[in-house]
This record gives sequence, structure tokens and C-alpha cells, in this order.
Amino acid sequence: MKKLWRDMSRGDCSVILVLFLIALIGLFWQANAPTGARLIVGDGDQVSFTAELHQEQTVDLEGPLGVTRLNISDGAARILASPCPRKICISMGSVQRSGELLACVPNRILVRIEGVAEEGVDYDLLSR
Amino acid sequence: MLSRARILGLIAILLLLAWWRLPSTQDELRRSRLVMGTVVEIVASGDATQGLDVAVSAAFDEMERVERLLSRYIADSELSRLSQQAGPFTLSDEAAAVIALGLDVAKRSDGAFDLTLGRLNDLWAIDSASPKLPTPAQLAEAMRGIGPEALLLNGQTLKKRSAALELDLGGIAKGYAVDRAIAVLKQHGVASAAVNAGGDMYLLGELHGRSWRIGIQHPRQTNASLETVQVSNRAVVTSGDYERFFEQEGQRYHHLFDPKSGLPARGCRSVTVIADSVALADALATAVFVLGPRAGAELLHNYPDAEGLIVAADGTLSSSAGWVNYQAAP
Amino acid sequence: MTCSAAKEQQLEQARRHVFLALLIAVAISIHTVESLLPTPLPWLRLGLANSVAVVALYLYGPRAAWSVNLARVGLGALLLGRLFSPGFWLALAGCLVATSLMVGLHRRFPDWLTPIGVSVAGAAGHAFGQLLAARLLLVSHDAIWQVLPALLMFSLGAGIVTGWVALRVLREIRRHPLFRQLSKAEADDQTGEQALQ
Repeated sequence: MKKLWRDMSRGDCSVILVLFLIALIGLFWQANAPTGARLIVGDGDQVSFTAELHQEQTVDLEGPLGVTRLNISDGAARILASPCPRKICISMGSVQRSGELLACVPNRILVRIEGVAEEGVDYDLLSR
Repeated sequence: MLSRARILGLIAILLLLAWWRLPSTQDELRRSRLVMGTVVEIVASGDATQGLDVAVSAAFDEMERVERLLSRYIADSELSRLSQQAGPFTLSDEAAAVIALGLDVAKRSDGAFDLTLGRLNDLWAIDSASPKLPTPAQLAEAMRGIGPEALLLNGQTLKKRSAALELDLGGIAKGYAVDRAIAVLKQHGVASAAVNAGGDMYLLGELHGRSWRIGIQHPRQTNASLETVQVSNRAVVTSGDYERFFEQEGQRYHHLFDPKSGLPARGCRSVTVIADSVALADALATAVFVLGPRAGAELLHNYPDAEGLIVAADGTLSSSAGWVNYQAAP
Repeated sequence: MTCSAAKEQQLEQARRHVFLALLIAVAISIHTVESLLPTPLPWLRLGLANSVAVVALYLYGPRAAWSVNLARVGLGALLLGRLFSPGFWLALAGCLVATSLMVGLHRRFPDWLTPIGVSVAGAAGHAFGQLLAARLLLVSHDAIWQVLPALLMFSLGAGIVTGWVALRVLREIRRHPLFRQLSKAEADDQTGEQALQ
């Protein structure tokens, strides 16, 4: 590690710092995005499905590989099952903030969160 | 001019800031799983960051185990075998405890809560694709022999008064599963967690140093909440007529039946109960819903550690004496 | 005198061709091996083959760096049977942005930056270029940019590692007598032919 330190120049550190700042700002921005109001499923401009995030439901989305099962509950969306080989979309977990997305690229499913939840940020969970 | 050391020092400070500033994305774990026909979400946070994943998985596994034990939709669950058996049945400790709890609430609510509605629920088939209004004859048949006296529990032996009785533990089985999940989380040293099974939940500990804030769904406006309560180490369960229902000829038929008539209870729109266990909270919420605002309030009075909020059929709110202690400051 | 100088030039030219070919071969090998390794996410790699381009950049100049990187992407894809697949276009876009950045920065700040900084810029450029291509070809919505901050962080680390590799390799190579000529031959950058004046 010490060798690495000696070999880096001031210029290197500056470049690294700038890029690091850009990435950091991006991360903060995402973490502080407002809670989304609805989700939109689409491939490009073609919207195939939309739903309000506060309405609990589970829906099957059709793609070239098969059916990707999407679940909405407690104001967040998550993928439960998908025919893709690596199940990366499932490991993406749950999303609820405006701008977040879930994607199953092999099955061409893109789910993005939009809008701002009107209210409900007043509590952590909802008892129904 | 900035030396290399200063620049890297800056990076180090920024890293520290990031680590401090993004706690919610780091030490909080959220996982969902489909159990008992509901999406159950567990939120856990605390120091045991590596152990959290293990703890949450164990909690889900425990809920699945309870489902295999108490679900009437699993052919060889203890409950299904119990329903099929005519004579006396020896229960496992757990099943006995859950049934004992259910019977206690059933008796104290004068039958408003009932564990023997299996055939009635099957008849209405609220969750099926095309539910229909049953005829009075069908209702009478499905309700034969039900009631709190229909089951005799002696220690761990259960006897059904009528062999055709089918048990349906309904919500208290789900509630018990949540209680068990919390127990498992506690065993793993988790101090702060929420286990939410589709709106029936238990809140363990505190969230980021303050009580959990739980909103209560407005029974008629989808996007709104009635009020918010602040709880810690409590169960919160809401029973409402808006959750599962179908409409026929302008009338709404929901899933909370009055065992005396076999028809959906009409006294309330929703009931929320805060209690020490989800199983109890669920049983009480169902019982109070069926009893209606006045009799329901009396029932709650007999459970000093439980508090409730009742939305009557006309929309008026009433609550138990201690409910105000849970109400959040606006 | 001029005779031997001219012969030196020719020899040097020949040497460059040979070594460039070697470098390209090394880059392709590294690229191929890397793409066979398991990764948590597809196309998330260390990009070690980029170090070879950085080495080529410092030894032989911009055109060499371009040759290495373009060959790496093109021939690499050909070898793996991924030519013109979506992954190929992503890699190509990333490579174009990365190489332009590296070449540009090296030209503007030859002394201020070491191969490490150049490599980091290359890695970041790669990430950005790939996302841009993904945005245009695969995921026609801006939501894809969500992954940029995290990807950028990863590229920083990867860039430092590959940059350091390039640095050490360059140091070792420059010790070899065959490469000592380079301080004079470096002026051959663009044209490749020193004017006989």
C-alpha cells in the first residue's frame, strides 16, 4: 500500500477525488429522493403496466423469456420470481423511492418508480 | 496548492461522512417472503449487521414451519388432520396453546370469535374467482354445530362436539406465526424489528431511537390514514371490511362473518387492536368487529392490556380508555 | 551517420510493430480470461486488459493505445462469439469513451498524471460509455442512470488497481535496453517517421 501511495501523483489524487465526489453526490441524491407514488412497467416508451404503490397487489408481467412476478405491498415493489438465469432482478430487493428501478434485462422488464407519494410518510408502516 | 496528502485526507473525511450519513441504507435489513398467502415483510436493524441476514431468514423459516403446522390449506398439517378426525385428538403444545387462546376469546366474546368456521368460510369462498351469496339453507348447514361450546379442550386433548366440524384458525394462526418470528429474531439478538404480515404486525424495540409509528388505514379512503400510533414491543392488528370482499347487487359482502347469522358482520367498518401478541390482537380485532362498537368496547374492557380503536358502521370513531396513550403527537 | 540513423529508425519501426502485436495479443488474452471469470453482475469486470492499453499509450503513443483497445474489443468479441451482440456494443462504447479520455488526459497532462490517474479516468470513461450505450440500446429510459454512482465507485477502485499494474509494468519494461531508445523515438508519435534533418 505504501508503494501505491508513493507512486500516485497529485494529479492522480485530484482525478480520483473529482470522480469520487460525483459518485458520492449521486448516491446522496438517490438516498434522499422522495418516496414514489406509482410504478411504471415499460420497455422504452411503451408502457405495459402501471400501478399505484399504495395498492397491494401481485401481478405477472409477460416477457420474451416468460413471466416475471412483481409484488407491490406497503408502498414498495419487488420482484418475486423471474425466468432469467441469474435472478439479479430478484436480488435487487425492494424499491420505493422516486427514480428507483427494478430490471430483468433478459426478460426485458423494466420497472421504475415515479411521482411523489402524497402523504403517508408520517408513519413507518401501515396497519390494514 | 493541495498536496496529495490533503486530497486523500479529504476523501477520507468524505468517506466518514458518507458512513455516518447513510445509516438507513446500511444497518437496516428489509426482506419479504410469501408466507401463508401474504407477503410478509421483516425489517430488522441493529448492530448485528452480519447476523441480521441469518436472523431474518430464520424468522421466515419459523413462520413457514408454523404454516405447515396450522394451515388448513395444507393437507397434512396438524390442523387439517384435526379437522378430519372425528374422535379426540392430541394436540402439540403449540397448537394447544393457540387453540386455548382462541377458545378463551371465543368464550369471553360470547361466540363472536369462532374457531370452527371452516365450512362457513369454504361456503362463501370470498377469495375465489366468483363468490356467490349462499342460500339460507346452505348457511344453516355450514353453521351446524359451531360455537365456543363446539370444542372441548382438556389439557392437550381436543374433542369436537360434531365430527363434521372444520377448524379455521384464520388470523390467529398468522398472528402466532408473527409472534414466533419475533421470538426467533429475539433469540438471534435482534433488538429492533418489525414483522408485518399484510397489515398484521409486531413492532420490536424502537426504530432509530424512537417508537415505531404505525398508521391505521382509513376504511374508506385508500390513500389516507385515520391516525398514527406510536408503539414499541406491541402487536398491531386491524380488521376491516375493505380487505377481502365481493359485491353483489350493490351490497358488499366481506370476510368477517358473524357466527350467529353466518353473514358478514355489519356493526363496524374497521377495528384496530394493540396488544402484547399478534395472535391475541387478531382474535380481539375480529371479535370486536363482529360484536359492534358497544359490545366490542365491553370486551376490550376485559382485556386491560389491550387497547382498541373502533370505526363504527356510520363512520364514528370510538376507542378504549388507554388508546390515547398510543396516539402519536400530530 | 545518416545511414545508421535510418536503419535505426527502420529497426525501431519493426520493433514497434512486433511489440504492438504482442501487446494486442496480451490484451485479448487477458480480456478473454476475465470474461470467463464469474462476476456478481454481468459485464462488471476489473478491466485488466485496459492496463495493456495504458502501457501502449505511454510506450508508443495514442495510436498504439487505440489499436490495442479497439482490437481488444473487436477481436475479443469475435473470439468469444459475441460480435455485434448487445454486450459488444456496450463494450465498444465504453472503450471509445475510455480511450479518448485516456489519450486526451495523457496529452494535456503528461507529467501531472501517472498511469494510475490515466487508468482511473479510463475506467470511469468505460463505465459511463457502457451506461450510455445501455441507455440508447437496451433500456430506453433514463432510469438506467441510477446505477451510475455505484458503478463509478467500483470503477475508481478498478482503475487504481489496473493503473498500478500498468505503472509497474512500464517501470520494468523501461529498464530493458530495447526500450531505452524510446525517449528519442517518442517523437515519432504521429507520423512514425523522423524527418531526416
